[in-house]
Amino acid sequence: MKRCAPLAAFVLAVLTLVAIPVAGFAQGKDTLTVALPSHAPTLDPHMHFERVGILVNINMFDSLLHRDTKLQFVPSLATSWKALSDTQWEFKIRKGVRFHNGDVLTPADVKYSFDRVIDPAKKSPQYGNVRAIKEVKVVDAETVHIITDKPFPLLLERLVFFPIVNKKHVEAVGDQAFGTTSPVGTGPWKFVEWKRDQVIRLEAFDRHWRGKPAFKHLNFRAIPEVATQVAEIKTGGVDIIRNVSADIQPELKNHPVAYISSTPILRVHWIAFDMRTAPFDKKAVRQAANYAIDKQAIIQKLMAGLGTQVATVVQPLAFGFDAEVKPYPYDPKKAKELLAQGGFPNGVDITLHSASVANRPEFEALCQMLTEVGLRTTPRLWDPGPAWNKFSQGEGKGTNGIYGTWGNYSVFDADAVLHPLYHTEPGGWYGKWYARMEGLDKLIDEARSSVDQPKRKRLYAQIQQMIRDEAPSAFLWTQYDTLGISKKVQYAARPDEWLWLYDAKPATR
Amino acid sequence: MLSLLTRRLIRLVVVLAGVSVVTFSILQVSGDPVSLMMPEAPESDRAVLRQSMGFNDPLPVQFARFVRNIARGDFGQSFFHREPALPLVLERMPTTLLLTVLAMALSLSLALPIGILSAIRRNSVFDHSATLLVFLGTSMPVFWTGIMLILLFAVQLRWLPVSGWESWAALVLPAATLATFSTPLLLRIVRSSMLEVVNLDYVRTARAKGVSESLVICRHALTNAALPLVTVAGLQFGLLLGGAVITETVFAVPGVGRLIVGAIRQLDFPIVQAGVFLLALIVVLVNFAVDVLYIYLNPQIRVR
Amino acid sequence: MAVRTLSSGVRLEDRAARSAERSRVWRKLVRNPAAIAGVFVLAAVVGAALFAPYVAPQDPARQSLIRRFTPPVWAEAGKAAYPLGTDQVGRDILSRIVYGARVSLVVGVAAVLVSLVVGVTLGLLSGFLQGRVDTVIMTVVDVTLSFPQLLLALAFVAALGPSLVTIIVVLGLTGWERYTRVVRAEVLALREKDFVEAARAIGASPIRTLLRHLLPNTFSSIIVMSTLQVAQAILQEAALSFLGVGTGSVHPTWGQMIALGRDFVSVAWWLPTFPGLAILLTVLAINLVGDRLRDALDPRVG
Repeated sequence: MKRCAPLAAFVLAVLTLVAIPVAGFAQGKDTLTVALPSHAPTLDPHMHFERVGILVNINMFDSLLHRDTKLQFVPSLATSWKALSDTQWEFKIRKGVRFHNGDVLTPADVKYSFDRVIDPAKKSPQYGNVRAIKEVKVVDAETVHIITDKPFPLLLERLVFFPIVNKKHVEAVGDQAFGTTSPVGTGPWKFVEWKRDQVIRLEAFDRHWRGKPAFKHLNFRAIPEVATQVAEIKTGGVDIIRNVSADIQPELKNHPVAYISSTPILRVHWIAFDMRTAPFDKKAVRQAANYAIDKQAIIQKLMAGLGTQVATVVQPLAFGFDAEVKPYPYDPKKAKELLAQGGFPNGVDITLHSASVANRPEFEALCQMLTEVGLRTTPRLWDPGPAWNKFSQGEGKGTNGIYGTWGNYSVFDADAVLHPLYHTEPGGWYGKWYARMEGLDKLIDEARSSVDQPKRKRLYAQIQQMIRDEAPSAFLWTQYDTLGISKKVQYAARPDEWLWLYDAKPATR
Repeated sequence: MLSLLTRRLIRLVVVLAGVSVVTFSILQVSGDPVSLMMPEAPESDRAVLRQSMGFNDPLPVQFARFVRNIARGDFGQSFFHREPALPLVLERMPTTLLLTVLAMALSLSLALPIGILSAIRRNSVFDHSATLLVFLGTSMPVFWTGIMLILLFAVQLRWLPVSGWESWAALVLPAATLATFSTPLLLRIVRSSMLEVVNLDYVRTARAKGVSESLVICRHALTNAALPLVTVAGLQFGLLLGGAVITETVFAVPGVGRLIVGAIRQLDFPIVQAGVFLLALIVVLVNFAVDVLYIYLNPQIRVR
Repeated sequence: MAVRTLSSGVRLEDRAARSAERSRVWRKLVRNPAAIAGVFVLAAVVGAALFAPYVAPQDPARQSLIRRFTPPVWAEAGKAAYPLGTDQVGRDILSRIVYGARVSLVVGVAAVLVSLVVGVTLGLLSGFLQGRVDTVIMTVVDVTLSFPQLLLALAFVAALGPSLVTIIVVLGLTGWERYTRVVRAEVLALREKDFVEAARAIGASPIRTLLRHLLPNTFSSIIVMSTLQVAQAILQEAALSFLGVGTGSVHPTWGQMIALGRDFVSVAWWLPTFPGLAILLTVLAINLVGDRLRDALDPRVG
């Protein structure tokens, strides 16, 4: 075996040449580690639109407004605000706020942040959200005015996630470096390092205007596999995991090292019917589909009861929700009758598509229930990604229907679900292809161009009644969000699906 | 020997040319790359982009441009990351290479002793069970092996961390999972090379002369096995790189494989092209090195 | 034995030698217990695939929300109707495995057939035509071998759009080189032999003579390689399913069952375990049989 020894030595030498940090993760009591399925392509908060990116950004950057756990608006970088007119708002900017690099926040930074996204040349993926903002004016050393081109009732909602960046710094280092090596903000944690696809390390910012956070170190690890995430939380490798499915929950609920925190969120599940083609061009068939699905059974059996049946796609937590509109009950007999009325006494073959990988059991159960009343469904599952986006939204080929979920991007307003799903304007999401209802576009437009909340509420009640009757979709349920949390951390899941880790504290015991 | 080397070198260049063709065709085959880059833009914008990026040119022209660009290291901008694709790939390459090398080293260190022992105790229980165990390794899907190893060693026994790439301990499970891929073939080669040698005359003579058995075995048998092992090493390397892709996903290792898989999912073809080309390049270079080594080690060719 | 015309005389002699050879191989195989076990397992798998509707205890697509996550029959909450348990929507695992055998085997065998056809054709062309054609083909072989096969398969399936046919073709195109090498080597070796010259002398077509002799000589190698490659194709398909590029067919392959069940491994270990065992046993059986076959057919190994 003598020849083997030099070989082994050689291999070892090669290995030591390649740099590997010998220290493992700092897993002390003052470190909080979160598992995410991946990292966003950049840390620049304006240049991506990934949920995983937003979760990291909110802990590094502040916006003008913030939400508390009861979903009320609270001041953040803006201390107060008021509407000067239908299209002009005034915001008072907090004084004495420091960026991570020591600079003081000024209204010029606020204006710069908005200009960056509004400017179409910058190609920000968030442009669509703030398209209505025409201009941001710096009025004096502590005031800015935001001017919209028409009444924009969602303005405050959008400002909850609109991070403010440091104009001097971004202009000095350039957009590229800002997003990868020096993302400077005003948030509770500041950037330490980013090992791509591995971990984003943050450190507590001592001069944060709210005060220092409870944990000194905050790490976001990229762990794509669910099974690996679960194993990591059980062995103390991470402290928080998201989207714990109903089936995994019992394991963690009674685990010595972890616990579960659930809360209802905006995310609503629905099936978009393709109303351009048979059979869903007939109202009777669409209604039949709604009666065919036993939503309670799915909620109880597949979601561990962590869901709420809804009458339409408007969520109970959203502004404009009308509790008077009643959901479709489960009535397979009626479904069969309606189907016969619609012209299909012997049933009909349809195809349903879905890219909701996490909800595959629900999708399969739905298809089965539809098949049982005569809507013989072939399920087609897709991998979420550009191919799916192109198919479903780019070319509108999702016939005969698409099962999906919609999170409103954390905007608690009926418009944020009605417009994308049903409005038929060319730049839209689903509505432009699949929904065809007389008069609905006009109502949606009316509701979104007024800032008179009571008037909007009335309009939304009307819209909900209308879509409940017309059934452009199969209305299903809203879900809960469940986090798996290590017992050494005290934190609760939020209804807006944010990981606002400033509220996380080491467990007292 | 020099002319043989030159021939090998020429072959290297030709193979690289073929590799470029295949890599080039990946993007072409996918349909319309512009609609992937700007999914929401109206068709008029897309037509402009298509023209400016040269997608309307005839294929040979596009291919020539492609080769010129990659010679300069320009694989284009990643659609998703909006950064040049090549640096993103290069940054993760050492991790994947380390994983592959470790797995090979582990394979060798298992294959050698087990192979030798199997040959010496031929057809014994040890021999048969070793063979069976090794077959088991190749018969399981790699990701399944990885998950099982995590469950056993990390969750149940707590000996090793579950995933990540932060410490020496974290390297063990991924490397071990990958090693189940390559060990069987190496084992078989060691064993059969040993079998050929064990009964040969000069071994018997050495034994008769009283030279220590293990010395005899090591020296002669390993020399005999060296050639086929080296030949196979190049092939195995390519195979291992493929297995590394899956292993990296299961164990959250920040390597090239995981990057490419993610890029494939997102149809981010510049990264796919850069990654696939680079990996093929490495395999070609390794095979070339193996060829050279083979020429050097093979007494027959040298003498000529 | 009387010697007839040269070509048929050669044939007869070869035939006798070949049948003697075949019985020797058979005897060697039969003596090996591992190979026998392997053959039984394979017979079971193929039988299950062919007679799936009769073998499967349940309809593999039938869901039952009440029966979801039923453990296997020997566990506490198990039910005899679902011997290997049920999945997340209550479908019977055993039935799904039985039907899955079909798709897995179809993908495996079809991919190998593609490999075989492409590889043998190219090998023949390479050996017969030699010269430039030969160089080009061997370069293509080298190029193919330079890519990590799985990545290439993944890239092309993603680019072309996943479907059963695409996967079969792409997997088939990642294994043809060995057939080409073997066939080419054999063609080159046969060209040297006397009887080719002799055949040409009597006016028989050299190509047909070559082909007639080619097949028996390469037969054993091709059989061995094909069996081993079916195993590899099944594993590769499982890997593609894991990475999300499945066949999209109604009944899942074993690989897809593992991919779908892996998230539940801690609450319902039977979900990914049994399809994994199915792959394991099938591939193991193929490997064992193929390995012994190779040993048996190789005249050098004692």
